[in-house]
Amino acid sequence: MKSYQYIIDYFENSPTIIQVVWTMSGVFLIGVVILTIYLKYLRSRLRKDEKKVAEYKREYESDLITYLYAGNDEEEISAEQQIIIDKLRSCASDEFKRSIIVSKLLRLRNDISGEMADAIQKLYFQSGLIAYALKRLKSKKWYVVAKGIREFTQLRVKEVNDEIVVFVNHPKREIRKEVQLYLVTLFHFDGLKFLDILQTQLSEWDQIQLLEVLQRFDEQEIPDINPWLKSKNNSVVAFALKLAKIYNQFEVKDALIELLSHQQKNIRVDAIHVLSHLHVVEAKDILKNNFDNLSEDEQIEFFKMLENVFESSDESFLLAHTTHQNFEIKLLALKIIKILAIEKFVNLKNFSTDDDYVKIYEFLENN
Amino acid sequence: MSDVKKIVLAEDNTTLSLLLKFRLEKEGYKLLIAVDGKEAVELIEQHDPELILTDIMMPYISGLEVISHVRNKLNKQTPIIVFSAAGQEEMVLKAFNLGANDFMGKPFSPNELVIRVKRLLR
Amino acid sequence: MNTTTVEIILIIIHSLFFIYAFFAIASYVILAIISAVETKEYVKKNSFVNYKEILSSTISPSISIIAPAYNESLNIIENVRSLLSSHYVNYDVIIVNDGSKDDSLEKLIVAYDLVKVNFLINQQIPTKPIRAGVFKSTNPAFEKLTIVDKENGGKADALNMGLNISNNQYVACIDVDCLLLENALQKMVKPFLEVTDQKVIATGGVIRIANSCIIKNGKLLDVNFPEKWIEKAQILEYLRAFLLGRMAWSRLNGLLVISGAFGLFDKKIAIEVGGYDTNTVGEDMEIIVRMRRHMEEINEKYKVAYIPDPLCWTEAPDNYKIFISQRNRWTRGTIETLRKHRKIGFNPKYKSLGMLSYPYWLFFERLAPVIEVIGIIYFAILMALNEVRWDYAIAFIILAYLFTVLFSIVAIYSEELTYHQYKKKGTGFKLLMISLLEPFVLHPFILYAAIRGNMDYYFNKKKKWGEMTRKGMAKAENN
Repeated sequence: MKSYQYIIDYFENSPTIIQVVWTMSGVFLIGVVILTIYLKYLRSRLRKDEKKVAEYKREYESDLITYLYAGNDEEEISAEQQIIIDKLRSCASDEFKRSIIVSKLLRLRNDISGEMADAIQKLYFQSGLIAYALKRLKSKKWYVVAKGIREFTQLRVKEVNDEIVVFVNHPKREIRKEVQLYLVTLFHFDGLKFLDILQTQLSEWDQIQLLEVLQRFDEQEIPDINPWLKSKNNSVVAFALKLAKIYNQFEVKDALIELLSHQQKNIRVDAIHVLSHLHVVEAKDILKNNFDNLSEDEQIEFFKMLENVFESSDESFLLAHTTHQNFEIKLLALKIIKILAIEKFVNLKNFSTDDDYVKIYEFLENN
Repeated sequence: MSDVKKIVLAEDNTTLSLLLKFRLEKEGYKLLIAVDGKEAVELIEQHDPELILTDIMMPYISGLEVISHVRNKLNKQTPIIVFSAAGQEEMVLKAFNLGANDFMGKPFSPNELVIRVKRLLR
Repeated sequence: MNTTTVEIILIIIHSLFFIYAFFAIASYVILAIISAVETKEYVKKNSFVNYKEILSSTISPSISIIAPAYNESLNIIENVRSLLSSHYVNYDVIIVNDGSKDDSLEKLIVAYDLVKVNFLINQQIPTKPIRAGVFKSTNPAFEKLTIVDKENGGKADALNMGLNISNNQYVACIDVDCLLLENALQKMVKPFLEVTDQKVIATGGVIRIANSCIIKNGKLLDVNFPEKWIEKAQILEYLRAFLLGRMAWSRLNGLLVISGAFGLFDKKIAIEVGGYDTNTVGEDMEIIVRMRRHMEEINEKYKVAYIPDPLCWTEAPDNYKIFISQRNRWTRGTIETLRKHRKIGFNPKYKSLGMLSYPYWLFFERLAPVIEVIGIIYFAILMALNEVRWDYAIAFIILAYLFTVLFSIVAIYSEELTYHQYKKKGTGFKLLMISLLEPFVLHPFILYAAIRGNMDYYFNKKKKWGEMTRKGMAKAENN
């Protein structure tokens, strides 16, 4: 008791700063103890959850399989199937279980097609899971909405289209991306209509994903991409350029040529690239005549184009640029000359004493 | 007479594995399931199956490595069907170069798989 | 001097120490809070990105992995194999054999059916010349592989050679002995592609410690918690640095360093600024500072991104000798970088780079060990003079200790809620134990190494230059 009183006296007689230090130490100590206990709890909960997840996964997996094989041709839904639907419906009210059921459905739906895929969708509707996903769309948390849309995409639920298109210009990038993927996965090229009203930028990542989804479909009937090439949204133009290249849209060449004077450099460069891919020879002369006004990136891209579409009339132009200060242009100019007129190429041996020139020349000589 | 033909199935989507196991066992085959390439290789070495079904992208050992192991290390001509997802065309080509016999692009219909399995095991 | 002057001087010294400690602690607390916010956001964002499903296609942008190798003969075959097993489609691997004196090249040639090829190099960054040549495999299974054999010039020089050789848009600069998970490139390239309102110039990754983990055929099969104190303490240190420190700095867009063991760069900008600096041992930090400086000077909006996922695993030093020499080098790297770019420090023209990141690094990374040692010496003098108020001193020491422990536990906590890599039963207890012990088993060595680094930097130029030509990489000293 005496020592206890001593500590209190000591504390009270110490300068303020020491009192603060001891108080903070006390707080930290309590913090350490609490976090230690909580960490113990957290780790065992995580371990338990993991076990539970595995258990539920196995259970729902086998339910799902039973359901899929319990169908018959006479009934819409067989009695055996109805039992499983009812069971899953009651499990679905628990969020933890629901997330496991949904993830199993999605995983399987992703990998199979045909009758069984339809059966999975039917299960999704019948067990009431769809209602939970619809509720997600109303959430204030962006990631809940995004997850909801994703679910509809993976299960190909076309019926909720109207609820989803309202998010096309949502301020959150992740939601917009899910909307785009939904539209394109379900409605293919028709889904791309959102590009007409898109006000935000379509990131490179979004573009790649959309193209990848589109490439899964066999249909090659492309809508008219002219309006997108003329869009005020530069990212839509960039995306349309990719479409033009992948689907060989030769008929939009006029719009492509117009893009050569677009105000954004990377679009001009991409336009040259696509024109070169499509072998649009008339673009070559336009660029050639304007060569000195182009940025270096465009010049390089133009030389790559020349590699595809050169003619003998380009010879003097090429010769003039064998001493261009850019390495790549020098290389391409010499390379094309070698193909075009080997005798001219031989004469160029000591044309320049620049190190790079000599190196490039020797390389081409030996290859 | 062990007339039952054995099939090793390597696939990390366990639900799909289970589904295919049911389907193919109904047709009278014996299915051995592996969840990754490592297990697949072990099963193949142990049981010497008549057919191998393998996904291309799996944890630890990819389907390509499984094929290469069967063809080059074990020197077996066991027929192999690979599963691939969209956008893996390049991998499919590699799989064929390594000696795969057939491929199924995901998503696929289990019924069609059965037809192809039957054709290869005839 | 009369007594009052001495007293005033002492009061000033004491106040400076106090202010320093106060700001150090405050900065830690603030960083922890920011990192919590950022981590939460990141986890939400990634909870529904399916990386397996995407970006395996050929439309994805091209990446070159550049891995310098110096005397790595022992493991090179395995290491290369691991680098070749990424699930990304549009990438290649460039191994730069930096004048190894062992049989690395011969081994590679045999294992991967290599032949010498004619290769035109656009020498945009000057490097040491090619030695045996550039090699490619005749086996189509290894078509992604390029091996360059050059004369020794150090890690930075080797990386520069890789930058010259790569034809791709992005370059991943990594240590050859790193183990990359299969989806590492997808995740690392994502920030470059998804940000539309500014330019991402580089992405930094996390380094995880692979000691005691089970690795087979270049794949990580099982994560274990190692046994040695020094290894365990480093795991804790890395968790703190990556999950709390860097996460917060990335939120502030103030990252000054991307670990040399794994980072992805926009190649064009890396070349524009002249590549890696071969005159420093801290080339990984220096290039980021230089790229940032460049972007500030051309006045373009930019960002250095950071991916906290455990994508890159590497072996950490398991004995104090190697550990000290590694940290010695890191210290010198920091000093060299900060000195070289001192122009940006406290310069409002460089905005938060000059006013926030640089000062933070100067005071709390560069000067921390120096100030700590001064404090210890001062304390020792007071002890000798019998001027120590022991009860006060103990109060402060206990406070500092408890703060350190608390901060470590917060880091562990963050790990459990995000990646939960150390799942095994009992590891939680071990992590807690090491949080309590780390100030004794690791910190003194970090301090010692940092002081050695300072000494070497200022008084031992010979060592500095001697090491430049001979050194390969962190791992070279390791084997």
